[in-house]
Amino acid sequence: MDCQEEKPIIYTMENKPIVTCAGDQGLFTSLYTSLAQQLPREPMEWRGTYGRAPKMIHLEANFVQFKEELLPKEGNKALLTFPFLHIYWTDCCDTEMYKSSVKEDMLRWQNTLRSHGSADWVIIIVETNDTKRKNKTNILPRSSIVDKIRSDFCNKQNDRCVVLSDPLKESSRSVESWNSLLLKLRTLLLMSFTKNLGRFEDDMRTLREKRTQPGWSFCEYFMVQEELAFVFEMLQQFEDALVQYDELDALFTQYVLNFGAGDTANWLGSFCAPVRNWSGLLLRRPIDMEKRDSIQRGEASLLDLRSYLFSRQCTLLIFLQRPWEVTQRALELLHNCVQELRLLEVSVVDGALDCWVFLSCLEVLHRIEGCCDQAQIAANCSHTVGLWAYATDKLKSLGELCGLVSEKVPTSEDLNRTVDLLAGLGDERPETANSLQSPYKKLKEALSSVEAFERHYLELSHAAMEMYQAIGRMRSARLVGKSLAEFYMRKGDPERAETFLQEALKSYVSEGWSLPLTHTRRQIAECQKLLGRTEDYLQTSALLAGDENLTTEERKHFFQEILSFAGKSGNPSHKVSLSMNVFAQLTRLQFHPATASVHSGGVLQVELMLRSLMPVSVHIQQLAASIHFEVDHGGTLGRSKGAQRHTNLGTIEFNLGNPSAGLPSSAAPRPVLELDEVQDRSPSDNSLNSTGVVCKNTHLLIRRHESNSPPEMPNCVSPPTVAMKEGAQMLKVQDVTLEPGNNSVIFTAPSGQPGSYMLRQLCATVGEVQFIQSHIYPSVGYEVYSQEPQLTVEPLSEPLLAGLPQMVKFTLLTGHYTVKKGDALQLSNSETMPILPSTSCTARISTPTAELVGESTLSIQSSEKVTSISLPPTPPYHTMEFQLEVLCIIPTGSERPANERLTNGEIRHRPRSYSHPDTPMTAIDQRMSIDCPWSIYSTLLTLTFYIPFKTKHSLLSAGNRKYIQVCVQNVSDVNFTLAEVKLTENQHASLELQSFNTKTHQLLCSKHSVFCLWEVRWKDDLPSCLQCVFSANFSPINQDTSAFKPFHYQFQLERVTTLYSVRAEILPPSGEQHCRCGLVCDLEVCITRLTELSEGEITEDSKTDTDGLKTTKLMYEVADSSSNWAVCGKSSGMVLMPTKANATHKVQIEVMPLFAGHLPFPKIKVLKYLPHTAAVATQPDPDSCVENDSLSLLDKTLDDQADTASIRSRGSVHSVGSGDQQQRGVAMPRLEPFSPGQVFNHSHTQQVLVLPTTEDHIMEVNAT
Amino acid sequence: MADEAPFQFLHSELIQYIYKSADTEDTENGRNISKLENLGCRVGQGLIERLTKDAPRFKDELDIMKFICKDFWTCLFKKQIDNLRTNHQGIYVLQDSQFRLLSHLSAGKQYLDYAPKYLAFTCGLVRGALSNLGLRSVVTAEISDMPACKFQVLIQKM
Amino acid sequence: MAVCIAAFAKENYPLYIRSVPTQNELKFHYTVHTSLDVVEEKISAVGKSLGDQRELYLGLLYPTEDYKVYGYVTNSKVKFVIVVDSSNTSLRDNEIRSMFRKLHNSFTDVMCNPFYNPGDPIQSKAFNGIVSGMMVQTG
Repeated sequence: MDCQEEKPIIYTMENKPIVTCAGDQGLFTSLYTSLAQQLPREPMEWRGTYGRAPKMIHLEANFVQFKEELLPKEGNKALLTFPFLHIYWTDCCDTEMYKSSVKEDMLRWQNTLRSHGSADWVIIIVETNDTKRKNKTNILPRSSIVDKIRSDFCNKQNDRCVVLSDPLKESSRSVESWNSLLLKLRTLLLMSFTKNLGRFEDDMRTLREKRTQPGWSFCEYFMVQEELAFVFEMLQQFEDALVQYDELDALFTQYVLNFGAGDTANWLGSFCAPVRNWSGLLLRRPIDMEKRDSIQRGEASLLDLRSYLFSRQCTLLIFLQRPWEVTQRALELLHNCVQELRLLEVSVVDGALDCWVFLSCLEVLHRIEGCCDQAQIAANCSHTVGLWAYATDKLKSLGELCGLVSEKVPTSEDLNRTVDLLAGLGDERPETANSLQSPYKKLKEALSSVEAFERHYLELSHAAMEMYQAIGRMRSARLVGKSLAEFYMRKGDPERAETFLQEALKSYVSEGWSLPLTHTRRQIAECQKLLGRTEDYLQTSALLAGDENLTTEERKHFFQEILSFAGKSGNPSHKVSLSMNVFAQLTRLQFHPATASVHSGGVLQVELMLRSLMPVSVHIQQLAASIHFEVDHGGTLGRSKGAQRHTNLGTIEFNLGNPSAGLPSSAAPRPVLELDEVQDRSPSDNSLNSTGVVCKNTHLLIRRHESNSPPEMPNCVSPPTVAMKEGAQMLKVQDVTLEPGNNSVIFTAPSGQPGSYMLRQLCATVGEVQFIQSHIYPSVGYEVYSQEPQLTVEPLSEPLLAGLPQMVKFTLLTGHYTVKKGDALQLSNSETMPILPSTSCTARISTPTAELVGESTLSIQSSEKVTSISLPPTPPYHTMEFQLEVLCIIPTGSERPANERLTNGEIRHRPRSYSHPDTPMTAIDQRMSIDCPWSIYSTLLTLTFYIPFKTKHSLLSAGNRKYIQVCVQNVSDVNFTLAEVKLTENQHASLELQSFNTKTHQLLCSKHSVFCLWEVRWKDDLPSCLQCVFSANFSPINQDTSAFKPFHYQFQLERVTTLYSVRAEILPPSGEQHCRCGLVCDLEVCITRLTELSEGEITEDSKTDTDGLKTTKLMYEVADSSSNWAVCGKSSGMVLMPTKANATHKVQIEVMPLFAGHLPFPKIKVLKYLPHTAAVATQPDPDSCVENDSLSLLDKTLDDQADTASIRSRGSVHSVGSGDQQQRGVAMPRLEPFSPGQVFNHSHTQQVLVLPTTEDHIMEVNAT
Repeated sequence: MADEAPFQFLHSELIQYIYKSADTEDTENGRNISKLENLGCRVGQGLIERLTKDAPRFKDELDIMKFICKDFWTCLFKKQIDNLRTNHQGIYVLQDSQFRLLSHLSAGKQYLDYAPKYLAFTCGLVRGALSNLGLRSVVTAEISDMPACKFQVLIQKM
Repeated sequence: MAVCIAAFAKENYPLYIRSVPTQNELKFHYTVHTSLDVVEEKISAVGKSLGDQRELYLGLLYPTEDYKVYGYVTNSKVKFVIVVDSSNTSLRDNEIRSMFRKLHNSFTDVMCNPFYNPGDPIQSKAFNGIVSGMMVQTG
């Protein structure tokens, strides 16, 4: 074996610890193979130096022939070439031979070792049987030789001498000795390792301590520590090896930092040299010797050092199966290098670093791919994606640097730069020379042409994006997308760009990131402009114009964009509609009046509070709000509808977030929790089982809501603007100027047709641009109602007195009707209530809010049938008032034709009179029928008048003489003067009524009465029936004579003629001069017939007559109401009276005075006696009208429906009624009183003197 | 944290105030209860922020509920929830056999009909705490025998 | 010291972002927004992966050439992010930690302030003061 020839070179994995062999080479060679095989078989535990954790290691060795040169000189730090163990082989068995040759050889060997202070040696004595078999003579027991060697060399360390017996035999003995040998070797090796490495490390540390001293070189130290690392690696202690490199890494980093901090180390100089080569990391060799040498020579650049360090770390990490740590460390390294170069102010060619980083990223990625399968890589792209993204960035900046990112071809200087950069890459490394996808090739190609660059860049970007998406790093993915978009923009491909931007925009919107939002939106605007997507562009511009994140100038610019488009007059087809609330927000809406309800044609104002988001004041040609109109049937009178329910006093507040950057959807408000108390009572006794708090709307709150619903705001995509449909109904204002911030715009709402008006859309027109709010929420509306004209009449002063001119007020609410010129009210005249023509009658016209708008005099024409009042023109929903003087004629009770027609064909409504509950006066309802211009039907109005007077009349007689008394009672509250009192009888000319009333004027105070008396004089004979009319003029007290109004009272008297006279006489008892109380006296009654048969009586009596002589039956009756008299015996009786003048009849009745003094005569009644046969009842019996006047009769008919009947007929109706009763009663004799005046009682009010009785005291008793 | 006595008094007064200042209609439709609960909610948000300041991050829902039952409750009522049960479907029942805010009302069924209003605030506390920890929930309560009571937490599955 | 300090709500919208005036604010917005990716990754990793993932401090989210972005999440899922200039290597991890603690404490006070409505952007002067204390003093 000639291994001693080759100089051990460093090639890590092939390295083994060196073991030298001296002595019998042949012997060794024979055993080498089995030795080499068996040594590593058993692992040994090694407790490393510096308290490293014990590890099991498999020892191998590189056996070389012993040479002195192999032994390390002083200060030689090479560990790899260090012989850890020296073996001396011998199989000598006879003493002679030992003494003669072997011993010296051994001694020499020992001395050389000792001279180099190497104590790691062992002597192996191999014994075989055949040697024994040779010369039997002069044989020493072998043991003696072993002993000799032991005693000669290993004094007190016998273990340095090992016997290997029968190594080539398959005997248990041989195996055993092998094992012990191997064990020994391993132990010794490890001891040697520990010792030598320990020493080495000590030296290394001391060297490190010196690092602050001048002249200390990092590179030297680097080599030393790396030696250690190599050894660990050699011993497959990769962990420990890695530690060495990490320490070096940290140390170097620290230096750089310190340098940054100011204290410079001279050795750093080399690293500060300008970067000339940026060929990137090289990870395909276990050791990059070129770089290592350059480090050794102290000529390495920073990048070289870093690259070398990392390549070593990378190798070890991969040995350790930690590829992902590689990627992570790689990223840190790259960042770090860039930083360090900055820190050390190393001059670098523009783009050189980008190349270096780019290549390095790809190199790392390739290296990883080289040692992992696809599945692993896919699973771990979270570790690699960073490198991809980084590479992408770098490539992009390179592209930009080299003018490859543009629509044009690169300029010559771009090309020069490219060439320089490529030069810096040097030649491709042999490792990658034949791989097609090498980073080197990639970069070269990418920089070769615009197209190639695009291809590579896109490939990388998409790779990065997909990875990000795969691991759910959406934001990062979008960010890559954004830079991709920027790339596309540079390439003049806005279409592709926009899609990426929109993607990004969405996330910014949904997460509420205003600044990136604004920025992205601007880029989008750019795209849209280039794409000529006007609508979208304008929409975006609007958003930007209202974006606080931009400067005023920028905002103005975007606003100008809108204006300039809007300015483009021309094809109306090119109207653009944009969403309103990016332009201006409707914040408040107010109705005037607040009820938001108005009569048709009335004025309703809607005040909008608009917050303009624009930077400058905007002139709007038209601001319109479209209206949804709904006719509501059954014309409501200002009843507010649903829409108003939201409003408080006609004000609606709208709250919407700032559209440019509102809170994200996730932060949107959700329904508020509604809790309540519950009580659970036991069904048996109503006692509480339990109470609690429950939630009433859990279902709403816990509803699974889609978390990623984009908020309701115009964002990325241009909002769905419903084109403003030109509804007929609109709120419109022309030429408004919206200042930035709040503006109040006042509309006058259309209020023509009655119904409900809902505001739907809002639309602001700026030239060709329309800003539209597709719906207004909460829904807002107002209401228009319509009102019929109304005419009312009311007394100016209560009560209206009949018979006197009274003022009544006419009130006309025009409602929806407009009173035109020439409109007139047609009042049908009625003679019971004429309208008094007045010279100046003015109408006042006032608005609903009761302010006077006009006054004008009415012209009133009266024909005999109608009075027409021509009205002044009056706008709708106004009030017209005027007053008329009317006179209600007091009914006299004269005959009238029934059912006379009015001029307008209406049935005349007779005034109904009745006594009013709260006044003693009799009321008369006067109906007025008025034809109004707005209606084909006539309006009926009723006025109630009160008759101030109650009138009574009575007939008085004195024997044959007759008197008529009329009593006028003033039941009103007014005082009157009564004048020209007259009583007339119009049928009998012969008749004369002589007045006893002296005064012409009489005061008739309220609640007082006036009595008037007339004597009736006649010539030949007195008519049985008198038609009298009492008339007087009256006027409220102290008014001039013109004010006097007539008052008529008509009545009729019947059977006025006196038929009988009754005379009575009381005669004292015989022998007495005077009547005495207690004593019976005679009452002598004498009834005398005064006239011939009067026509009223004829028929009845003729029947009763037996012989030709006409008689009539009378009945008399003495009754003393005052109980002054006691009638003794028969108090009444029948008298048969011949019906001829002066027929007389006497009767005597015993009466006894009960008191003394002047006693009035007892009453004597005379009555008609009608036998049962009489059929009288059938014919009208005038007598039932006794003591009657028309009014009192009218009273009776209060409830009488037949109000067209005349007073007279009414009377008869009544009597007929009574007649019926008489008939219904069994036909039996009847008594009937005479009408007053038919019987004259002379003794009426006559008195007689009665003396007291003699036995006073008894009488007293009686009296009491 | 505030000592419990002042807290109890303040709590009682709070309820008194809410119910006095409102009209009967509010009481009937549970507006007062909700009002109390909302107050509690805001307090819970703040409180939990403070309590979890030094706590390690929660592993899961259950982890959070445990925190509510232990630290949160202790901080408020000087004792832990006595029993926590769950169906692992987002429903948790917290039982307190000696609920502090009821203990001074009565022991037994007296005033049982007034008890709910004394739980509303606490319901809010829990809801607020949970919401701030990122769990939307509805918290209700039940009392059958004072001063013991049950809180039921229904957590919305995202 | 930090060049940018930000706080985000549960829902990841910014509650507070402040960066050194000298540098492009927008860039920071993008950076911190992107950092949310990693924050969420780390939050969702809780319980799943072993090791002490339960600390509020999330450590270095990711380095870029120019910046180091550190993250922190409160139990109320409010996130804080501190961006440090890469050149600033003197800053040790535990310093960052303590910065986050300061932020968290201050934020807690904000939360407990009746005038603060949870979820609103942070206006508190006190908080702002704390932040200023951590920011790179420029000029």
